[in-house]
Amino acid sequence: MQALLVFLAIAALSLLASSRTVLDPGRFPAVAHLAASGLLFLACGTVMGPGSLGVLSWGDLTALRPVLALGLGVAGVIIGLNLEPRLLRLLPREVYAAALAHAGTAFLWVALPLAGPLLFTMGLPPGAALGAAVLLGAAASLSSGHFAVLGYRSGRMERRSGLSVALLTMLDDLVGLGVLVLALSFGAAGHPLEGLGLVALALLLGMACGGLLAFLMHGLKDQGELMAVLLGGVALVSGAAAYLRVSALLAGVACGATLVLVGGRAVEQAARGLGRFERPAYLLLIFLVGAHVQARDLMAWVLLPGYLGLRFVGKVLGGALAQRIAGGTLALPPRLGYALIAQGGLALCLVVEYLVLVPGPLSQRVFDVVVAGALINELLGSRAFRYVLAPAPEAPVKGSPT
Amino acid sequence: MTVRAGMRLLLLVLLLAGIARAQMWRVDTGTSVTLAAGALLLCGLFAGKVAIGLGLPRLTGYLLVGVAVGPYALGFIPGAGVKGLELVKGLALSLIALVAGTELHLGLLRRVGTKVAVLCAVVCGVTFVVSVGAMFALKGWLPFLATMTVPQALAVSALVASVVVSFSPTVTIAVVQETHARGTFTEFLMALVIIGDLFVMVAFALAVGVARASFGGGLDLAGLVGGVGWELFGSVLVGALLAVGMLVYMRQVQKELPLFLVAISFASAEAGTRLHLSPLLMMLAAGALIANLDEREGARIHHAIQRAGLPVFALFFAAAGAGLKLDALVTVGPIALLMVALRTVAVWFACRRFAPPGDERLSRYLWMGLISQAGVSFGLAALISRTFPDFGPQVEVLIVAMITLNQLVGPILTRRALERSGEIRSDEAPGPA
Repeated sequence: MQALLVFLAIAALSLLASSRTVLDPGRFPAVAHLAASGLLFLACGTVMGPGSLGVLSWGDLTALRPVLALGLGVAGVIIGLNLEPRLLRLLPREVYAAALAHAGTAFLWVALPLAGPLLFTMGLPPGAALGAAVLLGAAASLSSGHFAVLGYRSGRMERRSGLSVALLTMLDDLVGLGVLVLALSFGAAGHPLEGLGLVALALLLGMACGGLLAFLMHGLKDQGELMAVLLGGVALVSGAAAYLRVSALLAGVACGATLVLVGGRAVEQAARGLGRFERPAYLLLIFLVGAHVQARDLMAWVLLPGYLGLRFVGKVLGGALAQRIAGGTLALPPRLGYALIAQGGLALCLVVEYLVLVPGPLSQRVFDVVVAGALINELLGSRAFRYVLAPAPEAPVKGSPT
Repeated sequence: MTVRAGMRLLLLVLLLAGIARAQMWRVDTGTSVTLAAGALLLCGLFAGKVAIGLGLPRLTGYLLVGVAVGPYALGFIPGAGVKGLELVKGLALSLIALVAGTELHLGLLRRVGTKVAVLCAVVCGVTFVVSVGAMFALKGWLPFLATMTVPQALAVSALVASVVVSFSPTVTIAVVQETHARGTFTEFLMALVIIGDLFVMVAFALAVGVARASFGGGLDLAGLVGGVGWELFGSVLVGALLAVGMLVYMRQVQKELPLFLVAISFASAEAGTRLHLSPLLMMLAAGALIANLDEREGARIHHAIQRAGLPVFALFFAAAGAGLKLDALVTVGPIALLMVALRTVAVWFACRRFAPPGDERLSRYLWMGLISQAGVSFGLAALISRTFPDFGPQVEVLIVAMITLNQLVGPILTRRALERSGEIRSDEAPGPA
């Protein structure tokens, strides 16, 4: 029954989100932004979840775990398929350094100050509190380049600048995934070595499935058959990860990257086909993510302003640093940090993965903060992006009247 | 080509073995439903290719690989995972029924409707009588019947026989889709198995009422008629509403038809079960109404489902295979085998003797298409188990064992019937693996 309920909710939301009235920024700007980015589904999931109105119970969410695992697997495989090793090798070092600078600054700016409150309010061992702070930092480090892409597509931003921002935001995904590896190593098992073993198992599983899928798809001509094999493969890798209680996201990324590395033209064709499922799978995933929010956790609400403020400052400073490093290589716009405020779905994937694999009050609090933060950052991001588009104030010329 | 598909299947099975091995090192395991879905889909796709290469229907490949990797043989896919795929099974059943409905044109029903209904009644009647007689004769060998009084034993035998007479529209439609069979013989066969399902629905409800009365539960005639009426007419009514909704969508939106059909089939499967309606009948009615109101839209549905059909059928039948309880064969195997043989002879005799004259193929080959049993029969067996907790579970084991045997040979015979009728348009040569 719960599946039917979710399906009906998603269907109703899909209709709502495609309505011209809702999408008209002139009428309800905030709702229009949330609908366009899909985060409306996140908000509705939150409202319908057991932590708010309780339309869906915790039992329903447990029964929907296979769908959540599949959504994380699809997200992982799509990220992996977009990791093109040949292109990544061509990028100059400054680009990597700039991505690391903006992501790293936001990471440190959030993780270090919030470690203290987490340590003193939860009464948990320092390692666990530090792990939670690290995950908050990881989520904070991630940005979405969709405003930049929309900006250059609509002609409001120079194409080169838009692509440069999008490139930096894509590379920060690697930072986020790297931190997830660390957080799972420390949190997913009793001993860090065991945790590391589980992460290795997830990656190995992903690579094995990716290699096998490439072999299965080799020589298949029929497009429908190719898609069926790819979808089956995605379900297999997500399902095996969920069954073994390792990260479906990391297994998916490893699977997608292996597919790109060893697969041929068939994989490219099928990957394009998989793009058709990207949006529905994403919307379903973030609806379920929203349903896991505990809106009544006061401590999460207390932490939220700190998280948002620190991230904002971290992004602005990190953006300035990134521009200093790669300003000569990439066409980065002035006030780059303001273009990095919006957050994409990967931050949500990271924290929901952590919540599923390391369940407990700490991971729930981190999750709540990041989900609420993603919603607010999306709304803030559109306003902040206007500063990127506005012409930079010219430096005063010596001798001119002030 | 078959060797290449076999190699791929072997690698897949090895990967599943590795995953099952890795699971043994983990103290706690998570949900296995997604794993079951992915593994059965992939194994089914390649087993279907191997089956085609060996001259068998794809369906047999799907079923056999499901049996092999499922919880009752190699155990690479946990039982909980297979059970969690009920939702997918419901979806597939609805899709299959929808596409079958689009074949039910008014002209066809006018042409063969009466002949089909008469033959169906005769085949079901003969099979029912033979099955009741056999069950009653085996009273001493069946522990659950041995202690019953004669009226009770007769009532329970009738209950079992009402399930034994059922056919499998899903298997028939899937084999017809796979072989692209077209013609009067195929139409007759499809119409017969669909009408047979309606007969079984009524017969089963009556048999349950009689069995309940024989054990002192009283005969609630009004409830019985109301229940059957709601299931039959309610399903048709809801199906008609669905058809209108689908036609509006197809004419107004005209986008993403396969996704829309999957969504609506999924919703109707879930809602139908909750409302005690028959999803099969609902979607059948919806498909038939669309095809008769707007032939062009009916053809669009047919085409759209064919595009989405391969993975859906592979997953549905591989999951059905994985759910076949092989242990039931061990416990009641000989009796189940005897009952299956008697059922086959009864169906063969009824077709041979009573098939309408004019088309010799009906009397010679039609029986082969009526051997399969699948989803509906499993559902009814489970219902007996729940309704009669004293003897129901033992009856379920017997029926499941019979369905298992019929399921394994049924698709092969259905394909053979279509081949011999000469209505398979493009014989499926082994495709590239």
